[in-house]
Amino acid sequence: MKLEIKNISKQYTKSIFGLQDFSMVIENGILGLLGPNGAGKSTLMKIIASISNPTSGQILLDGVDIVKNPNQIRQILGYLPQDFGVYPNLNAYEFLEYIAAMKGIGGPNLKDRISKLLEGVNLIGAAKKPIGTYSGGMKQRVGIAQVLLNDPRILIFDEPTVGLDPEERVRFRNLISDLANHCIVILSSHIVSDIETIADKVAIIKNGQLISHGYQQDIIDTVKNKVYELEIDSNDFNSFKENHLILNTIRKKDKILVRYIGDEKLPDAMLCNATLEDSYLFQTKNK
Amino acid sequence: MNFYKNIIKADYLQRTRSYGFLITLLVSVYVANSFIPAYDSHYSTVRVSNFVGRNNSVWIGHVTAVMASTFLWLIGFYLVNDSIRRDKETGVGQIIATTSISNFAYLSAKALSNFCVLLTITFIIILMALGIYFFRGEGGNFDVIQFVLPYLLATIPSIFLVSVLAIVFEVTFGNRTNLLNVTFFFLFGIIIAKTNVGNNLALVYIDPLGIKYITNQMVEAVNTISLGNTNGFSAGYFFSDKQKKQYFDFQGSSWSIYYILSRIIWIAIGFGLLFITSKIFNRFDSKNIVLFKKKSPDFINPKIKTELKEIQLSELPKIKPHFALFPIIKTEFLMLIRKGPKWFWLINFGGMIALFLFPLKEAYQIGLPVLWFLQINRWADLSTKEKFFGTSNFIYSSFNPIKRLLTSQILAGFLLGIFLALPIVIRHLIEGNSIAVLAIIIGSLFLVSFASFTGIVSGGKRLFEILFFALTYAIVNGVSYVDYFGGFHQGYQYFSIMAVVLFLLFIISFSFRNHEIKNQ
Repeated sequence: MKLEIKNISKQYTKSIFGLQDFSMVIENGILGLLGPNGAGKSTLMKIIASISNPTSGQILLDGVDIVKNPNQIRQILGYLPQDFGVYPNLNAYEFLEYIAAMKGIGGPNLKDRISKLLEGVNLIGAAKKPIGTYSGGMKQRVGIAQVLLNDPRILIFDEPTVGLDPEERVRFRNLISDLANHCIVILSSHIVSDIETIADKVAIIKNGQLISHGYQQDIIDTVKNKVYELEIDSNDFNSFKENHLILNTIRKKDKILVRYIGDEKLPDAMLCNATLEDSYLFQTKNK
Repeated sequence: MNFYKNIIKADYLQRTRSYGFLITLLVSVYVANSFIPAYDSHYSTVRVSNFVGRNNSVWIGHVTAVMASTFLWLIGFYLVNDSIRRDKETGVGQIIATTSISNFAYLSAKALSNFCVLLTITFIIILMALGIYFFRGEGGNFDVIQFVLPYLLATIPSIFLVSVLAIVFEVTFGNRTNLLNVTFFFLFGIIIAKTNVGNNLALVYIDPLGIKYITNQMVEAVNTISLGNTNGFSAGYFFSDKQKKQYFDFQGSSWSIYYILSRIIWIAIGFGLLFITSKIFNRFDSKNIVLFKKKSPDFINPKIKTELKEIQLSELPKIKPHFALFPIIKTEFLMLIRKGPKWFWLINFGGMIALFLFPLKEAYQIGLPVLWFLQINRWADLSTKEKFFGTSNFIYSSFNPIKRLLTSQILAGFLLGIFLALPIVIRHLIEGNSIAVLAIIIGSLFLVSFASFTGIVSGGKRLFEILFFALTYAIVNGVSYVDYFGGFHQGYQYFSIMAVVLFLLFIISFSFRNHEIKNQ
């Protein structure tokens, strides 16, 4: 399965763009989307999910333009938006039946499938209670269950781990890894470690433009041999900050351990293994 | 005092920047223009027996002020009664609750913000009244005092009171919005019921709208020029080609100190109501939050945490394509009937029994529209709940969502309307009046389509609430002109008009929704 995004733009006003001439090819596997707030990640996901029309450009799913034929992707789509709600007067079971009907699926196995999904997200005990009484994490799990109702081949998760506790996050990552074997999974998160653990490829977006796209290691390699750690005096921190791109700081008694990016090694600085977060911060702050 | 200014300003800007407010302003311009009929028009608004004032500045000022008071009570309440609820829904309320602002100060600021919104509409009506005077008026001297005082003494205290009442109702009824809407409907009906003062002059002072004093002055003015002693005052919209109008020169009211005092006392009563309400205001510590903590399954059943499972993709049973509408209609219907407190269904069933027992004409012309009006809260967000509850993103990314969902929503709402009308339908069927049955079907379909249409166009439920309230009030008062369910007309013309209206509502609703989804 191949999703080709060709020169997509989303223009809100004359000078404000959600996306600008954005192109990318996505194939089976997990693509992690990274970018600062307002970069255009959610806009891109909404356009792929067919709930927002681009101002210009094409999105081809195995050669079929889904902007013109949105039902082509809707039948095989599982989408978990960033901010979503539920109907408080329905229970989880009724809500999933409703979403299944909206997705145009049914048959004798539907009830069993919903039960299995609710079991899998650990909501079977609360399945008959109104969703209005659920906690934020439980609602998030209902959202995850609805994604898998229709055997999707394209999965879009916008900030999926918000509200999940650490255990649930691990289970969610395992689930995504399973799905990636035969599907396209697009995942955006502010938590770089979530992407780092599971994504095959990474795309970094800033100001509606794609600034980097490739295998995770290739992205990390852009800052290879450039990441250092150095302990400096607290009083020198401000002047150090002005001259270097700081990635992280740890405060100690009178000193500060600074992780930074530099082209040359400073005296006493220690070269470190670069991470995806280092590369992401470097690219979004520099470009 | 700065916080008053800040809360009022923020609240005012939030409301007036909405699309719904713009629509309300446009409706206000249209309505204000209709307050003073042209001499050759086939309707009248304010009339004393057969007498209507000539369009001088005094008459225009008095009539538009009386009509504005009524109009703004009628729709103003529904326009502003979500002030506190919005703070609760957006979470701003919880932030406010942690500040040092007192309940009274917060509620007063909210009431004053409501007042500013209604004052804006009043201002538009005054501008329209001036326009009417200059373009359709008799000319002559412009009596500023007699033009302005009716607004100052009747309309402005009146809209202040309705602004306060909106806050009092919101605090008192909380989430029970259906009960809130319905209670106000009946309260308004009682207050406005007797516009004819007669010999009971005390009525003019206990009138919160302040219009009875003015109408009494008009009646007295007519009595000085006519032979008989009339009490036949009427205010509203009266359509008739046959009734002859007699014109008289209205010179204005004499403003008694007692009337002025009564208006000041009403404003004081408004603040008093706010003070009492501030004592019961829960400061956003709602029952829902308590319920959630008590009933959260995670909280009451910690075992769920210890029996963790994972989704096994290979074990998930296979499903088939199934594009039927029935499951969507079923769930939409479920959501409609579950809305609001369960005991409210006792009232509904009581209403249905009344439709069986009352004389058929009254049951059809009054009982049915009132029973339908009681469902205002169920229908109001029929097509906007995806937006309100935040489900739109995954619902609109499903298969063919516009045609399937909107159709199902309209059908589910229609089924509810027909279910409630069953007693009347059965009685008409027994009588062999299939035309009436068809009219009820069309009426129910119209209401639901109208709810969808107003929701989609305005992006919220407020517009429908306002219009449905006005529509029901007019119907109950026998204004056959707005008959949407065949209670007054069942001829060929009625069915043709309704067919066209329904067609337009469907087309516009589907087109707007389509456009809305594509431009998210």
